[in-house]
Amino acid sequence: MEEISDHLNPTSDTSGLMPEFDPKTMRSSKPGLKRLFITTTVLFSFLLGLPFLWKTVEIYRSPLPFHDIDSLSNQIESTPLRFPCSFHAVFVGFQSTDPDKLRSEIQDGIKQLTQPSSQCGSCDFSLSVTVQNPDDHCSETLTSDPSMCSYRCGVIKRNVFGAGSDVAVDESLADVFSGCSGHGGKMYSVVVVNEENANGEDEVKAVVGKRRHAWIVGSGLEERYGDVVARVSEIFVKVFMNGGMEEGSIHGEFMPVGSDGRIVLSFSLLNSNPRDWIYDWDFQRIDEALLAPVTKALAPIANISVESQVLYHTPKSSFSSWDEKIQSYIFKTSDLPFFVNSNEWHLDTSAGASGRSKILQFVVYIPSGKECPLHLQLPNGEISKTNGFISPMWGGVIVWNPGNCENDSERPSRNTISPQDLERIVEVFLGQFRQLFGFKSEAIYTSGLGSYKILPSERGFTEWELDVLSRKHTCFNLHSCSTTLGSLSRLVQSLPRMIIKDEIGEQVKYSMKAAKLAQSNASTGGYSSSASSSREARSLAENAFFHPSIMSVSYFSYEHCFAVYSPFFLPVVGHVVLAALREWKRYKQEKAKYSTWLARKKTA
Amino acid sequence: MARLILTWISLLILQSYLIPIAFGSKEVEEFSEALLLKPLPDRKVLAHFHFENRAPPSNSHGRHHHLFPKAISQLVQKFRVKEMELSFTQGRWNHEQWGGFDPLSSMNAKPVGVELWAVFDVPHSEVDTSWKNLTHALSGLFCASINFLESSTSYATPTWGFGPNSDKLRYGSLPREAVCTENLTPWLKLLPCRDKDGISALMNRPSVYRGFYHSQRLHLSTVESGQEGLASGIVLEQTLTVVLQPETLFVGTNIQPTWSINSLFGRKVVGRCVLAKSSNVYLQMEGLSGHESKNMDTEMEAHELWKNADFELSLKPDRILREINSFLFIFDIDISSDSEPFDLGLTWKLPVKWSCQQAPLHASRFLMGSGNERGAIAILLKATDSQDKLSGSDLTNGCCTLKANIFQIFPWYIKVYYHTLQIFVDQQEKTGMEVLKKINVSPSTDKMSSGMMEMMLELPCQVKSAAISIEYDKGFLHIDEYPPDANQGFDIPSALISFPDHHASLDFKEELSKSPLFSKLKEKSLVRSYTEVLLVPLTTPDFSMPYNVITITCTVFALYFGSLLNVLRRRIGEEERFLKSQGKKTGGLKKMLSRLVAKIRGRPIEEPSSSTESPEARSSVFSSKLFFKFILVAGAAAAWQYFSTDK
Repeated sequence: MEEISDHLNPTSDTSGLMPEFDPKTMRSSKPGLKRLFITTTVLFSFLLGLPFLWKTVEIYRSPLPFHDIDSLSNQIESTPLRFPCSFHAVFVGFQSTDPDKLRSEIQDGIKQLTQPSSQCGSCDFSLSVTVQNPDDHCSETLTSDPSMCSYRCGVIKRNVFGAGSDVAVDESLADVFSGCSGHGGKMYSVVVVNEENANGEDEVKAVVGKRRHAWIVGSGLEERYGDVVARVSEIFVKVFMNGGMEEGSIHGEFMPVGSDGRIVLSFSLLNSNPRDWIYDWDFQRIDEALLAPVTKALAPIANISVESQVLYHTPKSSFSSWDEKIQSYIFKTSDLPFFVNSNEWHLDTSAGASGRSKILQFVVYIPSGKECPLHLQLPNGEISKTNGFISPMWGGVIVWNPGNCENDSERPSRNTISPQDLERIVEVFLGQFRQLFGFKSEAIYTSGLGSYKILPSERGFTEWELDVLSRKHTCFNLHSCSTTLGSLSRLVQSLPRMIIKDEIGEQVKYSMKAAKLAQSNASTGGYSSSASSSREARSLAENAFFHPSIMSVSYFSYEHCFAVYSPFFLPVVGHVVLAALREWKRYKQEKAKYSTWLARKKTA
Repeated sequence: MARLILTWISLLILQSYLIPIAFGSKEVEEFSEALLLKPLPDRKVLAHFHFENRAPPSNSHGRHHHLFPKAISQLVQKFRVKEMELSFTQGRWNHEQWGGFDPLSSMNAKPVGVELWAVFDVPHSEVDTSWKNLTHALSGLFCASINFLESSTSYATPTWGFGPNSDKLRYGSLPREAVCTENLTPWLKLLPCRDKDGISALMNRPSVYRGFYHSQRLHLSTVESGQEGLASGIVLEQTLTVVLQPETLFVGTNIQPTWSINSLFGRKVVGRCVLAKSSNVYLQMEGLSGHESKNMDTEMEAHELWKNADFELSLKPDRILREINSFLFIFDIDISSDSEPFDLGLTWKLPVKWSCQQAPLHASRFLMGSGNERGAIAILLKATDSQDKLSGSDLTNGCCTLKANIFQIFPWYIKVYYHTLQIFVDQQEKTGMEVLKKINVSPSTDKMSSGMMEMMLELPCQVKSAAISIEYDKGFLHIDEYPPDANQGFDIPSALISFPDHHASLDFKEELSKSPLFSKLKEKSLVRSYTEVLLVPLTTPDFSMPYNVITITCTVFALYFGSLLNVLRRRIGEEERFLKSQGKKTGGLKKMLSRLVAKIRGRPIEEPSSSTESPEARSSVFSSKLFFKFILVAGAAAAWQYFSTDK
C-alpha cells in the first residue's frame, strides 16, 4: 500500500509560499532513512547468517588428494614401471671376437625384441659382455655400473659343460656367479660355450638354469655367430625378462593374489559317489613335504596358506560319454564349463580366509562307478595326459581315476590314495598353479630359433621366474592401486553428500605414500621391498575403497534440507527481501520528489 | 569360469619326501548318525535325528580335514570356542504331553527362535570381542540374523543360573527369529552325507516344517587332548527334533495312529550314510512297564515285545533294551539297500493310554497390568503329578525341599524394580528369607546392557504352586532404535527353569556299544524347561513427528518474524491520510472489488474505501504484484531444479 500512497507533507506551511508545490510529485522535507536502515540491516544479517547455516548442515568430508591421485594414475599409465636388470653374456672359447661389437649386436637384438612390448614390469637393462678365448684370456666391455662385480676370467672351463649333468652345471655356474647379485637389481647371465669339435655333433644345446643363469653349448658356434647372438638376446628378453610367458596367455591383470596379499589354497578331494568307493588322502604330509617349499618360495609375493578337505556326494554337473575305442568315459573340452557343479560342491572355506584374500580351489575329482574311468579329451581328439584343467582366478580340477574301476563288493571300499599317486597329483597341481600365475607348465620353451630346456625347481618356481613374478606383481599392484584410488576419487567427487571419514583420508594418504615408495624402490632395483610396498599400497587403497563408512551417503540430502528449512526460510525471506526492496524503492521515489522540490525552489 | 584351459603338463620333477606310514596307527575323524522315534501320548510322533562328528586332537584343525566340517573347525580355532550351542526352534515344547523329565526334553526343548551360548578359552578381557565375532561368523554360516546378538544389550553373562558354570560364558537369544529351510540347508552342509544319503535323507522339507515343533541344534565342545603341544579335539553334535502328526484314517477312535517312516516323512531310508561309523534307528516306547514287566527273559517273551496284543512293529528289532518304564527297540540299517529300503512301521491294535514323565514343576510365565507405562511379569510354577518329585530333593533338617533355578534376561527397555519381587507359595506370600536361597541380579543399563536375574528357590516338597512376580516400567526408545514393525511389540526372551537336584537319564540295564545317541541318553542331564516368550507392547511414537514439529515451529517463527518486520516499517500516519483521501472519491469498479474482498474476508464493508487512482492504474499495480509473485515462484522452482539435479 505504501507505493500507491502519495505523500502528503504534514508541514505544508510552505504551500502558500510556493504555489507550484505539487504534493504528488514533490516533498519539502528530506526522506527519512530509519525504515530503510532497519530493513537492510535485517536483510544483511540474514545474508551474513547464511554461511553459518551452511556450515551447520555441512557434512564432514576429509580432504582427499584428488590431484595427486590423478597424477599418480597418469604417471603409471604413461610411464610403465621398469626395473633395472643387468645382463651379462660370457662367451667362452671364442677366438677373435670383439666384445664391444658383440655387445652392440646383442643390444640391438634385445631392443628389437622388446620394442613392441614396452609393458609394465619389464627390465631397464644394462648389458656387459665378456669374451674368453680358448687360452683363458679375457676381454670385456666396460661396465657402466662399477658396483657390479666382474666375472673372474678363466673360472669357467669348457669341459665342465660337456661332461656334467645340467643340474651340476647349474650348480657350478651358481658358484661362479655367486656374490654377483644384490647390487643394483638382479644379474642374469648367459654363458655361451664354443666347444672344440669333439664328437662332430652339430647340435646346439640351450639350457636355462634354476637360478639366474642360462648356457648355450655347441660346437662351431663362432661360425654361426649371428645365430648365437640372436639366441642370447632371446634368452634375455623372452625368458629372463618375460618369464617365458606367451603373448595372449593369462595376463598380468589376472594375478591370483588377494588384495590383502594372501592366497588360500583350498584343496578338496571330491568323492562323487561314496557308495561306490571312498578315497581319502593324507594331505597333511603332502602339505609339509611338497607344498611348504613352494609357499616359502612365494612368500615375497603372497602369504599363502593351505587347507584341505574331503567332500562326498559331489557329482559333476554334466554327463560324459562312453568311448569304445579307448574303453573309457570321455568328457569333451567344450563341455568343461559345465564340469564344476557349484550346487553340490561345497568348496567354500569360510573363517580361515579374511574378507579379501584370494581363494584358489584345487579339486581332485574321483568319478563314481558309473563313469569310471573318466578322461578329458582335448579338442584334437587326444586324451589329456594330466586329466585336469584350470579356470583362471578360480583354480584347477584334476580327474583322478581309481586304479580298479570294478567294484563288485556290496559295501564301498575304503581306500587311501597312495603317496605315489598323491605325488603325481601334486605335480599336476603345481603345474596348474604355475599356469594360474601365467607361466608355462612345460619344461621346454620353444621359439623360432630353437628350443630351450628349462630346469624345474623343486620349489615350483625358479629364481628368475620369481623375479618375473615380483616384477609383474609390483606392477599389477600399483596398477590396481591407482585404478582403485582413481575410482574412489571419482566416486567421492560424484557424490557431494557422502561422508568421508578421516580414516579413509589417511588410508588414501598412506596408500599414495606406499605407491611412491614402491616406485622409487623399483627404480633402484629393490625387488622384494617394492613388491611389499606395492602390496601395502594396494591393500590400503582397497581398504579405503571398501571402508564400511564409504557408502554412508548422508541422509540429510538437499531434498531433505530443503524440506526442513523451507517452511521457515521461504516466508521469512519473502518478507525480508520484499520489505527491503519496497523501502529502497520508496526512498528513491521520495528522494526524487525532494530533489524536484529543491530544484523548483531554486528556480523560484 | 569364463576361460578353461586344459593343462598339458610334462611332469615336474619333484623329490619325494613322502614316507608311507600306515594310516591305521592314528586316530581318525568319526561320524555317526542315529534316529530316535517315539510315539507321544497325544497321538503325535517325535523324531529325533542325532549326528555326531568327532575330530581327534590334532594340530591341523582348521586346515586339513577328512570328515569333520572345515568351517566349524576354523570357527573353533579362530574364536577359541571351548563349548558352544546354537539352536533354531519353531513351536513350543509341550511339557505335559511330550515329557519334561527325560534326556530328550531336557536337552532338546529349546526356546522359540535362536538361542546361542558359548564358552570361550580366551582371557577375560577378550571374551566379549570373541562373542561378537562369533555371532557374525555364525550369522553368515547359518543364514540367520544371529549378528543381532552382537550388541551388548542383547546378551548376558550368566554365573550359576544357566547351567555350565564358567565366567567366560555368554548367553543370548533372539525370540523373533523365523526358522526355515534356509537355516536347515547350511546345517545339513556340515554333515558329510548332507541329505543325500543315510538317515538325513529323510529330511523332506515340507514334512519337517509341517510339524508341531521343530528344533535344530548344533552343540560343539572341545576335548582336551591331555598331551603337551597338541590341540584339543572337537566333538560336533547336531540334532534335529521334530514332532509330527501322523495322518490317520480313523478319526475319533481312541486307537493311537498307525504310522511308518514313509508316512511320516514321505521318504524311506535307502541305506546308511557310508561314511558313518554307526547308523541306527531307535524306537522308544513309553508306558509299557505295567504290561510286560513280569518276566521276559526268554526269546519268546522278547518276540512278544514287538508283536503283541497292543501293537506290532513291521520289522524285527535287532536288539531290545529295557528301562524302568520304557523299552528301546534298536534297528541297524546296514542291510537296507535300494531294493529293500528300511521303513519301520508301528501299528496299534488296542487303545493304549500312557503319560510322560513330568518335571517336578510346570512353569509358565505371563504379563500383568495394562497400559503402555508399567506392568508386571509373573512366573507361575505348578506342581505336576510327577512320581519322581522326591527323587532329587534333599532332606535337610528333616524337611523335604525342592530346588529350582530361575534364569531370566530382561531387555533394558523393561526396567525391572527388583524390590517389588514377590514370591507366593501356595497363595501365601513369603518373604525372601524363607524360600529364596540365592539370588543374583545384574541391573540393566539404559541402551548399554540388558538386565539379568538368577535365583534359586527352595520350595517345600508338598508345594502346590509357587508364583513370582516382579514389576517393571516400560522404557522409551530412541526413534532410531525401533525395529521395522514397532507396533507388533517387543519380545522378552524365555526364562529358564532348571532343577539342579534333578537329573534325567534313561537307565538301561544292558550295556550297549558306544553309540553316541545312546550314550547321550544314558548321560545324566539337568532337568530344565523354558517358559513362553512374552510380547510387551511399548509406546510407539508417530515416526513422522520430527517433521511435523519442524514444520510447525518454522511456520510459527516465520509468522512472528514477518509480522514483526511489517510492524517495524509501518507508517501509521501516512496510512490514515491515505485512507482519508481515499474516502473522497469512489469508483464503481473499486467499490465492487472492495465489496468482494469484504465478502471473502467476512467483514463489513469499510465504507470510505475508495482509491484515488483510476481503475487502470489499480489493475496495473495488481498485475505487477502478480508478476512479482510469479517471478518469485519461478525463481524458487528454478533454484530447486538447480540444486536437485547436480551435475
